[in-house]
Amino acid sequence: MATVVAAGFVGCEITWRADVFSGAPQASSAAKFGTVGINFRARKPGTEREWLEAMLSLACRT
Amino acid sequence: MVRDTTLIPSVSQPIPGLDLAELRRAIRDEYGVVATDPARGFHFHTGRRLARLLGYEDAWLDGIPEPTIASFAGTGNPFALGVLRDGEFVVDVGCGAGIDSLIASRMVGPRGRVIGVDMTPSMRERALESVDALGVMNVDVELGYAERLPIPDAWADVVISNGVLNLFPDKVAGLQEMARVLKPGGRLQIGDILVSKPVPVSAKRDIDLWKG
Repeated sequence: MATVVAAGFVGCEITWRADVFSGAPQASSAAKFGTVGINFRARKPGTEREWLEAMLSLACRT
Repeated sequence: MVRDTTLIPSVSQPIPGLDLAELRRAIRDEYGVVATDPARGFHFHTGRRLARLLGYEDAWLDGIPEPTIASFAGTGNPFALGVLRDGEFVVDVGCGAGIDSLIASRMVGPRGRVIGVDMTPSMRERALESVDALGVMNVDVELGYAERLPIPDAWADVVISNGVLNLFPDKVAGLQEMARVLKPGGRLQIGDILVSKPVPVSAKRDIDLWKG
C-alpha cells in the first residue's frame, strides 16, 4: 500500500481478500506466488500537506 | 513537486529490462481473446460465475448484454468499497467489455457520467456494443492507456478499476495518472491482486507470467 500513498493518495485500506484463481480452467502462476484478489480504496488528499503527512508516516514506518 | 519514490523500499518500482511494447502486445492479445472467445478457458475465471464469486449482486447484472458479462475478468469488486452517488463522474480504468462502466452508469444516473478506458480494441468494441444496445447516454468508452488517460485533470469524483493495476509495469505512474484525473477528495475504488510471496526480477521480466 506504500505504492498507493507514494502515488499521491491517503487513507489506503484493503477491505477484502480472497482466492479468486482456484479452479480456473487453465493452470495459473497465481498459487506459486500466493496471489489473492483484493479490494482496496484510497482518497486523493484535499491538500498537498495532507499527502506529505501520509508520506512522512510511511517513511517513518519503513 | 518532484516525488522520489525510490527512497521508500516498499514502493513498487519499474522493472529494468522489461519490454513495455511487448508486454502491452501480449496483454492486448490475451484480453482480445477474452473479448471475442470468452468461453475458451483462461488461467482466471470469467463471466457471471466470476461476478458472483466477487460479490456482484444479480440485480447489478440485470439487463447487461450477455457478451459483456461473459467477457468479465475482474479480480475484485469496486462497488463493494463504497456507493457511487447520483450525479457523480466516474472513470473506469481498463474497462474491458464494460460491465463495471454499465453498473456505474446506473448508480450515478443521468446526471452522472462514466468514461471507460481500455487499450484493447476488441474489448472497447464489445463495451460500445453494449452501451448502444442499452441506449445508455451517460457512458463513453475510449481507447487509451491507463498511464495516459484521455481525461482532463480533476474531472472525476471516483476512479474505479478491476484486475488492471497488476498489469501496469510502472504502478506508481499508473496510480499517479488516476490521482491526476480525480478531484481533490476524490475516491479510488479498486479490485486487484496481491502477491504474498517474493517475485524474483527474472520472473517480473517474464511476460507470460504477467498474463497468469
